[in-house]
Amino acid sequence: MTADNVTTLGHAPVASYRRRHFFARGGLPLQVLGRIGSGMLVLWAAVTLSFISVQLAPGDIVSLLIGEQIRTPEVEAAIRAEWGLDQSLFEQYVAYLARLLHGDFGRSYILQTDISALVSSQMLPTLKLTVAALAVAIVYAVASAVLTAGKRIPRSIAGGLELTLISTPTFWLGILLLYVFSFTLKIFPVSGDRNLSALVLPALSLGLSLGAVLGQVLREGLERALEEPFALTVRSWGASDFVLRLRHGLRHAALPAVTLAGWLVGNLLSGAVITEAVFGRPGLGRITVDAVLSHDMPVVLAVAILSALIYVAMSTMVDILYLLLDPRLRSDAGRAKT
Amino acid sequence: MFDRRHFFLVGTTVLALSLLPAVSFAEDAKPVGGGSLSWGVETDPATLNPHLNGQDKTKLLLRNAYESLLARTADGGYVPWLATGYEISQDGKTYTFKLRNDVAFTDGQKFDAKAVVANFQQLKDPAYSTSVSAGPVSRIEELKAVDEHTISFTLKAVYAPFLDYVAGLEILSPAAFASSQIKSGGPEIAGTGPFILKRYVKGQEIQFEKNPAYAWAPSTAAHQGPAYLDQVTYRFLPESSVRTGALTSGQLDVIEGISGNDAALFKDNPDFSYQTALNTGTPYSLFLNVTWGPTQDVTVRKALIASLDIDKVLQAVYRGERTRAWGITSPIDPQFYDKSIEKSYGADAEIANGLLDEAGWKDKDAEGFRVKDGKRLTIEVVQAQATVRDQRDVLLQALQAQARQVAGIDLAINYVDAGTYTERRKTGQFGSIANSNTPTDAIDIEYHYLPIDKGGTINYSRAFAPELEQWLNEAASTLEPKKRFDIYAKLQRFAILDEAYAIPLYEPEDQVAAASHVKGISFRPFKQLPESAYDIWKSE
Repeated sequence: MTADNVTTLGHAPVASYRRRHFFARGGLPLQVLGRIGSGMLVLWAAVTLSFISVQLAPGDIVSLLIGEQIRTPEVEAAIRAEWGLDQSLFEQYVAYLARLLHGDFGRSYILQTDISALVSSQMLPTLKLTVAALAVAIVYAVASAVLTAGKRIPRSIAGGLELTLISTPTFWLGILLLYVFSFTLKIFPVSGDRNLSALVLPALSLGLSLGAVLGQVLREGLERALEEPFALTVRSWGASDFVLRLRHGLRHAALPAVTLAGWLVGNLLSGAVITEAVFGRPGLGRITVDAVLSHDMPVVLAVAILSALIYVAMSTMVDILYLLLDPRLRSDAGRAKT
Repeated sequence: MFDRRHFFLVGTTVLALSLLPAVSFAEDAKPVGGGSLSWGVETDPATLNPHLNGQDKTKLLLRNAYESLLARTADGGYVPWLATGYEISQDGKTYTFKLRNDVAFTDGQKFDAKAVVANFQQLKDPAYSTSVSAGPVSRIEELKAVDEHTISFTLKAVYAPFLDYVAGLEILSPAAFASSQIKSGGPEIAGTGPFILKRYVKGQEIQFEKNPAYAWAPSTAAHQGPAYLDQVTYRFLPESSVRTGALTSGQLDVIEGISGNDAALFKDNPDFSYQTALNTGTPYSLFLNVTWGPTQDVTVRKALIASLDIDKVLQAVYRGERTRAWGITSPIDPQFYDKSIEKSYGADAEIANGLLDEAGWKDKDAEGFRVKDGKRLTIEVVQAQATVRDQRDVLLQALQAQARQVAGIDLAINYVDAGTYTERRKTGQFGSIANSNTPTDAIDIEYHYLPIDKGGTINYSRAFAPELEQWLNEAASTLEPKKRFDIYAKLQRFAILDEAYAIPLYEPEDQVAAASHVKGISFRPFKQLPESAYDIWKSE
């Protein structure tokens, strides 16, 4: 809680505000167009980079697809023809881009299924898991911050719990939760994506460690906010401590936590891999790992593009959240007065 | 039952019935129909098309929906299934199958000679089946429907393993080949089985429903007529401790793939049944590369074999739950396993060190490894990350420690991704690869010991001695079992004792555990994989 830290934290929104201010001059439509354009550029870069890096990975695809089976010139030719590998790399790249524009991700080398269908069927379970995990994280972080900020003993208990959660591997936490709530108490089912109760344990095992990180940041922020002069003002109105924390303090404290959350949500996808495997859930995470391990290039590409899309969407959302949370930014965009 | 006029195999059938492995529930109550079963399995299939899927672990679920011409008996014989019998011509080149005339695919298509021909024609086309087209089907010269219920295959030359292949191939509905699902498999791909594939959710489960019209079970099954269960759901749970927990807490009825540590939970526990079966085919073995690195020298290969006390290592790693392997094929192979190889080599430190001194690896470096001309005696074991299972990483580490301690050999274990593995295999730059496989009828032996460019697709030792090809061709071109046995026995001694191409370690196995109310679980005779859900019923 040094003065240094406070200024650093103050910087991020200000930098963002300058950028926004620049766009704001051209009006909202231009701002939106600029966003979409830069988003497309990021996506194109992601496609191209993924395409190149997949090509750089060791092992040629025909050999990988034949694996340990019989190799004859006819077999090789059939494989090349089937996957368009008889074309030059550049032709393959252009053909791939063209198909992408039609929403066609191609077919999986290994699973042999249409990737658009595969990804869309696996997307929903992962999305459900991610949203549920995020909800767990937020509820935990807010509760822990509001209830323990500035209180010495509760604070150290919560801090210890959070440290434990952060350092517990998702895999182990998942097994532990299963052991207690599924195998022993038999409250929640072990596997699948069939109903809401099957979502509880995976969401907890994925969301708690994220919630712990957020909780620590949020508590720090809240404690800092409570020392600011406005806290005294609010108290002088006769507002209770709880109202002060929840209604006034949290808003001030939320900015760094929101920034962090936007970044961490991307990480949820990688955490989802392990959670999905432990709980036998369908989802993008497992598909991705399997695809990377077996060099299933079309699936890897599709997932890379999708992740880029999600990141672009998330960063836009975080920017919008800034506007909603901090009136100082809004005022300069001309929507509110100071 | 069967049409006796077309029945050429009465002898084997009688034998088969007497050898039925799974009649244990006969003394229990009478089987009851109905109910649904949930079964936790380890592996989510890559494709559901049984022609294109090479994963043994997924056969147990695919076999519910897809069936083949003949079934195998425990002693390796053949009994009627979709075919009522077969005949091999005098010259050994033409196989004629009589088909049942009362079978229908679950999509309503008729099962007849034309349907079977369509399957094999597709398989011969590399655009459909890629590598499969270069396998046993490539030996077919002529394929024809003699009449509506007779089909004949004429081979280019006599090839003994052909019967195993043709009898075991899953026959798909001819309508399936027009479906967009044909390569990935799915509900549109119909078979003739006792269950119908209804629903597949990747990463979660696959669901089968009873085929009420089913009436053509082979005599190796425990009953006739439709299956007992109305519905079977296989759930994909890759984590073995989760499968175990789900079974013990009553959320699943059956699981497969039980770790050595969990086995004790189910063994001798009245609430559960626990069964295991050794795999067929080549044991998990260290194959030593004869074309690269120090293992080019046969003396070094022999020294490595002599330095390892494999019994001791297996006892330490698996607590006695795994079976030692000695030869080039599974110890349970009733046809071609020559037992005389057992206990004829290994675990002799004196021999190991003597051989290495003789080969010029006399000096030792500071870490205790042998060196020659300033180079350490390092054998690099390349292990694909994807095939590490069943604590094989621990097993390899134990062998590594032993080779170092006993003979100063440096077994360097290198875990690699699929791409690197393929690359190293292609260039031949590795000291050793460890793996196992399961094909029967000596096809596994061909894959491992034919020259790489002549069908030895997994010839990891890269052995090219001319005797190997000569013997294998000789064995494949005779239909006389005794002669084939003698040749494979000779090859086994040559490959393990004389040339030390491979160090057999253990024979992998399948495990199935079930709640006590589940009856009728069995393993397939001869092929040894877990059987489909056809004979299974629930007593509650």
